[in-house]
Amino acid sequence: MRTEIRGIDLKKLVIGVIFLIFSLTAPFFLPSAYVYLLGMMFLFLIFVISWDVIIGYTGQVNLGHTVFIGLGAYTAALLQVPSRFQGSIDFLASMPKAPIPISILAGGIVAGLFGLAIGVITLRLKGYYFALVTAILPLVFMKSLYVFSDIFGGEEGFSIGLERSLAESTTLRYYYAFAIFLISFIALYIIVNSRIGLRFRAVRDDEDLAESIGVNVVKYKVLSFVVSSFFAGIGGAAIVHYRITIGPDLYDIPLMLLIILAAVIGGLGTLYGPLFGGIVVYLLKNWWLQSLLPVIPSWLPINDDVILYAILIAVGVLAPEGVWEKIKEFLRERSGSKSSRRS
Amino acid sequence: MMRKVLILVLLAVLVFGCAQQGQKPAATPTPTPEKTATPPPFGGKKEVVIGVIGPMALPEGTAEKNAAMLAAEEINANGGILGLKIKVVVGDTKLNPDTATSEFRRLATQEKADMMLGGFSSGIMNAMMEVMAETHTVFLSDASSPAHPAKVAKDYNKYKYWFRISQNNGTTFAWDLASMIDFLRDKGVTINKVYIIRDEHVWTDAVMKDLKPLLEKRNIEIVGDEKVPKGFTNYDQLLLDAQDKKADLIMPILAIAGTGDILAKDWAELKIPALLAGHDLAAIDAGFYTKTGGAANYEIFLADGGALVTAPPTEMAKHFIDAYKKKYGHYPESHEAYGAYDAVYIYKMAVEAAYKAGEKNPFDPNVVVKYLEKYKPGNPAKLTRNVAFYKNHALVWGDNYVRNWVAQWQDGKQYIIYPSTVANGQLKLPPWINK
Amino acid sequence: MIDVAVRILLYGAVIGGIWALVASGFSLIFGVARILNFAHGIFFILAAYIGIVLIQSGINSYLSTFAGIVIVGGFAVGIYLGLLSKIKDHEVMVIIVTLAIALLVEQILILIFGEHGLSYPDFISGVVRIGMTPITYDRIVAFVVAIVVLTLLEVFIHKTNTGKMILASSQNYEGALLVGIDVDRIFVITMFLSAVLAGVGGVLYGQVFAVSPAVSLKALIFAFAIVILGGLGSIKGSIVAAFIIGYITTIANQFLGAQWSEFTALLIIIAILVIKPTGLFGVEE
Repeated sequence: MRTEIRGIDLKKLVIGVIFLIFSLTAPFFLPSAYVYLLGMMFLFLIFVISWDVIIGYTGQVNLGHTVFIGLGAYTAALLQVPSRFQGSIDFLASMPKAPIPISILAGGIVAGLFGLAIGVITLRLKGYYFALVTAILPLVFMKSLYVFSDIFGGEEGFSIGLERSLAESTTLRYYYAFAIFLISFIALYIIVNSRIGLRFRAVRDDEDLAESIGVNVVKYKVLSFVVSSFFAGIGGAAIVHYRITIGPDLYDIPLMLLIILAAVIGGLGTLYGPLFGGIVVYLLKNWWLQSLLPVIPSWLPINDDVILYAILIAVGVLAPEGVWEKIKEFLRERSGSKSSRRS
Repeated sequence: MMRKVLILVLLAVLVFGCAQQGQKPAATPTPTPEKTATPPPFGGKKEVVIGVIGPMALPEGTAEKNAAMLAAEEINANGGILGLKIKVVVGDTKLNPDTATSEFRRLATQEKADMMLGGFSSGIMNAMMEVMAETHTVFLSDASSPAHPAKVAKDYNKYKYWFRISQNNGTTFAWDLASMIDFLRDKGVTINKVYIIRDEHVWTDAVMKDLKPLLEKRNIEIVGDEKVPKGFTNYDQLLLDAQDKKADLIMPILAIAGTGDILAKDWAELKIPALLAGHDLAAIDAGFYTKTGGAANYEIFLADGGALVTAPPTEMAKHFIDAYKKKYGHYPESHEAYGAYDAVYIYKMAVEAAYKAGEKNPFDPNVVVKYLEKYKPGNPAKLTRNVAFYKNHALVWGDNYVRNWVAQWQDGKQYIIYPSTVANGQLKLPPWINK
Repeated sequence: MIDVAVRILLYGAVIGGIWALVASGFSLIFGVARILNFAHGIFFILAAYIGIVLIQSGINSYLSTFAGIVIVGGFAVGIYLGLLSKIKDHEVMVIIVTLAIALLVEQILILIFGEHGLSYPDFISGVVRIGMTPITYDRIVAFVVAIVVLTLLEVFIHKTNTGKMILASSQNYEGALLVGIDVDRIFVITMFLSAVLAGVGGVLYGQVFAVSPAVSLKALIFAFAIVILGGLGSIKGSIVAAFIIGYITTIANQFLGAQWSEFTALLIIIAILVIKPTGLFGVEE
């Protein structure tokens, strides 16, 4: 049986369609609190798949992805509450509030620009050195929040007001979040499967070889970094318009750790892997494990996070190439030894 | 191929299953035996749902949960609220604004909480207030940022459901610190130079703004104002710096840094010739003395929330502490416990008052707000502390209400040393200081 | 003025010594087995926690400390044999699994002990005054122990057979295999050593400062930063870098204020790496 129709893998198509149907009809069978959660999840997925571009496809271990999430978020937030500039950069304080699509786009652009600057400076570092420098960067940006607390709100953050959210109703907000996610996913999908994506992977697989066949390694590393940062910024800006408040948590390490866990468990360099990993990790952390809570005896020092990490350890040891690879293997076996074709 | 689709359908059913299970409340069950009396139905209402939201992995969160459950148990044993039993449902903020807002939303919309209590952490409170404004849920809460009551003042109709019951506004710290200095001076301690060590965060800026003029009025020179980041440990250098500058008083204004224990340790070990007195959240912890190996001895600190285990301000407080110990085997692990306990009782009082006054639906949040507001300066609710609210719904501050009592660790115990209305101990100076 | 200089000299050395212990442990396991052990910070605090619990139940403090450190070493070996050895070819997944272990243990510690710091009982209490500068005995002990342990480490690596095998494995994995070195056994020993180093550092840190679950992240960040600064694969580099960082934080604390002390250290690390991308003593990979 042919498993490909016009180059599009039928298996993936089926999965994709089921996913779409599910996501579009969720508000009809899920209570609103969970719809809200799913919306946040979709925005979290943008963080994860954008990270896959730089680490999975281009092989650069950027541990400072939250820098760009935070930049996008604070850009959007300040565009919505420009009065916060009063007393420091007064001419900005009298700016009108930016329309929401512009606000989100601006978040992406600012993040992308910082990505360009930071990328150019740091990408000449190799491997672990690059990882460390990028790991430290979020701490630098977080410091700025406390130092310039009049503008950024310090540890308390600030809110942009319900009227400036994606939509006032939970359901509509959910659809907007899903739409933003879908657009980001499609855009990233196109990019990583294009010639540019091919070059990213060349850089990842063997830099020297890539250089020798004429790929401008530096240019593509920076490009990947910018693309990754841009979408992280979009996600950050969108999440501010979703949850209405902003705070330092969007720069902070726990978020980066969650992204790392999700992407790697899912399987780097596949876009679908991190997608799957993101869904599972986010929902495990914020929803599914909670039903276990009443069952845990209170004398045991275990809560749902402990169970989550235990599961992740198990998955990491049992499926070290990522869960997505395991799923693909599984599906391949099912359809017989005929399709040894790489999905 | 069909098998793959089947597997996917199975997966979908699994998720459906989770969705259904999600609709079942993850509640901490309080027994609901059959009611003996037939209460007047309030639109078919069968029970009163009280939601507790806080960081459940931390003592602050568990204290809130335990206190609320204790209060609910006591009230249910006495007939509940207007004959309806209380059910307590719990949400964990995990100190993350996203989790907190999702949980708040779940408790408010899914579990249909009539009232929410708890909190902790001003940034997260900010986020939760937005959800509260959407769901119109009465929220009797914690945290201390002046930004929260400011929201109520600025946009009353949106945020009026919020009341702060656990502790005073952050700005009151400045007043209580000044009172503390006056008290120390009264007792003969010379205080002319103060060295301040504070969190590098927004909340201390608010305190400093009010504190500076108060210190100026008292002719006190601020010889040092060090802002420390979260997790800071090198207090020894700061203390030696203070010693160089001949400070009489080392005043911490710490909460977020989380390392007040190291400050106490260094101060005691290096025997710095200055008193250690100020706001140190870590010092309020009942285990602080053991955790610092006794170094906390003689540290003077403000007791947020107006209650300490060893110094209950009211009869009800004493009863609460004993009942808590009996039920849970240990004393309340944090001051948020008193706020949570009081919150349940004050809600009951407000609802009952509304009913008595003839309100058609005493559980209507707008109605409850009206009756909670009746507890204002001059008419406190006498609970584990005397609780009343200002117009912006912040907790009323005063000797006969709630203040950040000036307390001191002495030989393993906490004593309130000021004001005299609640004091149960005398000031003791550390032996290496002779003033 | 002399006073301030003496103060910086003494206090910077204490912190430098503790960080040197942690960093050398991190560098060891990375150099030998290419394992970026994100659970290293947990080893740092766990030995202290175990020690404190044992001391509080009445056991002699030296015995408790020894037990705590050995247990942590055993824990590390257990993690390696049970989990990491199965996936050690997937460098990225190793990071994830060690990361998950770190987060798991941290959560459990928070649930058992809470977030606030716990003090480790001093071996020798009291204060001594060097000039006008008071310095506690536990700080002196910390420095002395750190130096002794680091010296022992150097001797072990360069003079003993096992140590030389460790060195060989870190320089050339395949070569070591070819020469007949039981590389797996070397990995286990290195893992144990690495955790012990961190554990000793943690106990000392707990005496001078305090341990809390949050400290594990701090220790990890500093270990990682110091090892990178010193240059991957160079234990000596890590030790030197540790003291440099210790002094930078101490000096910045004195002259720039508490707010900037650790931040300055991080900025300087970034600056140095931008100028010299392989660290101070690093070898081009």
